[in-house]
Amino acid sequence: MISKKLAMDVLNIATKTGADFAEIYLEEENSVDISVDNGKVETCNDSLTYGAGIRLLKDLQSVYGYTNDITAKGLKKLANDLSASFAGERIIEVKTIKKVKQGKKNQPRIPYDSYPREKIVEMLKQASEVMKNYDESIVRTTASFAYDIKKVSIFNTDEKQFSDARTKGRAGLVAIASKDGKIETFYSAPGAQKGMEYFLEEIDLNKFAKETATSAVMMLSAIDCPSGKMPVVIGNGFGGVIFHEACGHSLEATSVAKGLSVFSGKKGEKIASSIVSAVDDGTIDGAWGSGNIDDEGNKTQRNLLIKNGILNSYLVDNFNGRRMNEKGNGATRRQSYKFEPTSRMSNTFILPGKSTPEEIIANTKYGLYAKSMGGGSVSPATGEFNFAVNEGYLIQDGKITHPVRGATLIGSGKDILLNIDMVGNDLKRAQGMCGSSSGMIPADVGQPTIRVSEITVGGTGGEINND
Amino acid sequence: MTKYKKFFIKAKEENLEALELTIRKSSNFSFSFFNNEIDSYKMSDSFKISARGIYNGKIGTAESEKFDKNTVDYIISRIKENAMLLDSEDKPFIFKGSKSYKKKNVFNKKLAITTAQEKLQKIKSLDIKVKSASDLILNVETQYHEQAQEYTILNSYGLKLTSKTNYALVYSSATANDEMGETKVGFAYRFISDLDNLNQEEFAKEVVEKTISQFGSAPCASGKYKCVFSPSATSSLLEALLSNVSAEQVQKKSSLLADKLEQKVCSSKVTVTESPLKKNPFFRYFDDEGVATYDKTLIKNGVLKTYAYNLQTAYKDQVQSTGNGYKSRGKIGIELVNVAMKPGRLNKEQLIEKLGKGIYIDDISGVHSGLHPESGNFSLIASGFMIENGKKDKPVSLITVAGNIFDVFNDVIAVGNDLNLQFNGYEVPSILIKKIAVSGK
Repeated sequence: MISKKLAMDVLNIATKTGADFAEIYLEEENSVDISVDNGKVETCNDSLTYGAGIRLLKDLQSVYGYTNDITAKGLKKLANDLSASFAGERIIEVKTIKKVKQGKKNQPRIPYDSYPREKIVEMLKQASEVMKNYDESIVRTTASFAYDIKKVSIFNTDEKQFSDARTKGRAGLVAIASKDGKIETFYSAPGAQKGMEYFLEEIDLNKFAKETATSAVMMLSAIDCPSGKMPVVIGNGFGGVIFHEACGHSLEATSVAKGLSVFSGKKGEKIASSIVSAVDDGTIDGAWGSGNIDDEGNKTQRNLLIKNGILNSYLVDNFNGRRMNEKGNGATRRQSYKFEPTSRMSNTFILPGKSTPEEIIANTKYGLYAKSMGGGSVSPATGEFNFAVNEGYLIQDGKITHPVRGATLIGSGKDILLNIDMVGNDLKRAQGMCGSSSGMIPADVGQPTIRVSEITVGGTGGEINND
Repeated sequence: MTKYKKFFIKAKEENLEALELTIRKSSNFSFSFFNNEIDSYKMSDSFKISARGIYNGKIGTAESEKFDKNTVDYIISRIKENAMLLDSEDKPFIFKGSKSYKKKNVFNKKLAITTAQEKLQKIKSLDIKVKSASDLILNVETQYHEQAQEYTILNSYGLKLTSKTNYALVYSSATANDEMGETKVGFAYRFISDLDNLNQEEFAKEVVEKTISQFGSAPCASGKYKCVFSPSATSSLLEALLSNVSAEQVQKKSSLLADKLEQKVCSSKVTVTESPLKKNPFFRYFDDEGVATYDKTLIKNGVLKTYAYNLQTAYKDQVQSTGNGYKSRGKIGIELVNVAMKPGRLNKEQLIEKLGKGIYIDDISGVHSGLHPESGNFSLIASGFMIENGKKDKPVSLITVAGNIFDVFNDVIAVGNDLNLQFNGYEVPSILIKKIAVSGK
């Protein structure tokens, strides 16, 4: 997007007042959104994101700025403005820039921009039909599709240039069911860092549509979830959002470095039940949260976060790594040039264990089966989390019985990890958008079916009746 | 505006019936201190052009942050292609203009001309005050965010409107460990138009008080409690309730307020207004379709007075747009600006006294996942205080409050006078409600 010569000039302007590191991040992204509401195409929008972010570091201080003006004049002005926040002498100078060779993972076989949009619309309309026709209580459906094609270039004062091409696509299905004054909504949203081949060959969107409608209708007949402490079996796939929120965020250097995380200074200590091992893996080809490099140019890695219950590794970016005396481990990410990058998760999941999901249910006398989780949030400092259960069932005498609505799981990350007492063999990943200080980024969550011996369940159905 | 003329010429050549451009320019300036040392400093300028055009009787959209010789072709060709894909029967609208507009000058010059150095010094002094307000405070982070924005709408009917706003936000958070070694976090924030008007001592005291008052917090017993929701908790619940006011939700049968106009939907203590013309950071005198906004009552003494409309939903119901058309990713949706709840007579302490025995919910979180606006059901993690004999008692954390938003606003017994402008632009007081289901130990 810019020449090496210009990049060097800008980096040298940025470092003239004593910054010990500078970096230019350039980005151009084409995004397309199509949405079908009740079977009719309601919107189709093209959006072009374009700009550059410049970051200066000096010891433990960072300075960041961005602009849409990627001309020599625009970039030099920004670098100059940013350099004014330091008042020292130059300590580094860039004399050359070397292009670093990148991996070629996550590249689409059927690119979106050469695939007819009419055919995408056709696919969405079919999925809408499937949802609508599932049951007469379905009152509204939406089916949407979004893809984006992003080109990234990074230049830094280590005299390196990196680039990456990232293409991702995701469908979104929503079924709204209504009966007797009650309204229930259910959604699913499969996606990958792949091209159209993912939707044409790897998954069947109509199958997702049927499952989505089934769950929405099922929840209409749900009873209010009882509240109190009880064993909870958490389903595979998106159930991993619990680990993501309750543990993953607290392992990011963003909060660990300043001692603001419950897991600060706990490396080598037991933080989870010994049957729990978990990874963050940005190297999986085509996975939703993968990249060839991270947003500082580091190669992505498979980081073993927890090994048999022992905290093994944090997710570290170069800047926060300075406070921790650790090097970045390929986990630095940002939504766009408008965000200063920091340590984030990519594809984070609990590794499979030995039990079958059937065994886990059969071994639970009474409890909640959280088949499908909604989102949640956590305070990294206290580790306190909360999650919504989108589709839940009571477990009575080792069997799944009534569907329940309105369940929320709350607790503290460090307790829940220690209380995992069964881990299934059915590992699955699911896609989510993760929001934090460097913006919204695509991230996979995942796990096999697990059981937690005790979680506080919030619901409106009164105290549990354990008979 | 001559640089945008090319778009309209090209649109005509390409047989677009009408074209609308919105141009948003913003500049941001922010920095933060961590334990009295500056650790982040940010500045930016950005630009975005969004376009909607009518072609073949449908509305196509495109937006770009790039502005070069190809931008005109990119925008117009994408509008045509996207319009051809649509088959919604919705009538497309590009607006000719309202009869009059209530433009106000809300741009704060003093904020714009104060030097960065001066702002840094004031925020550093605040950070030091928070850190030194108590020996128990371990870490303090104080942030300053300033944004200036210029928003322009132009269309082929000659409509041309511009609005310029700026504001600053000061935010400070502190952490401290209690006797049990549990970490507690407290924070406070203010939208400000003048740094000199910020009472630093009072602000620092608030941050520290919010942190330390949580020491020894634990879940309370499960059960139904009489309850006061803080302004922050009230605003989250009210925002969810008001998503049902959207005429689009009503027309698409996913609103629980459908067919409820002029009916009682809340307790008679509840009156809610939308005041886009109020002079604050959220001020708007025209919406994203160019319709003049106006102040209105949404719920009066518990009775639903109006839905919120954009042009298209208004056409469907044969009414006028209420100036609530706001854009997200090209689509004109419906949003409310500057919502406020009419305050009552009691201050926070009097409200707690009136409560007698129950719970004060200071904070709820997880609204994006634990609250379903379509059904109104929620189950959310919460923290606050027990109330005994009309006074604050033990701190409570790690509990959930669950119920239905409509029940909450039906159960309002009294409304406080402690109005507070929240992050979501809602200015609401504490509310006292009959009962809420709490799940704790």
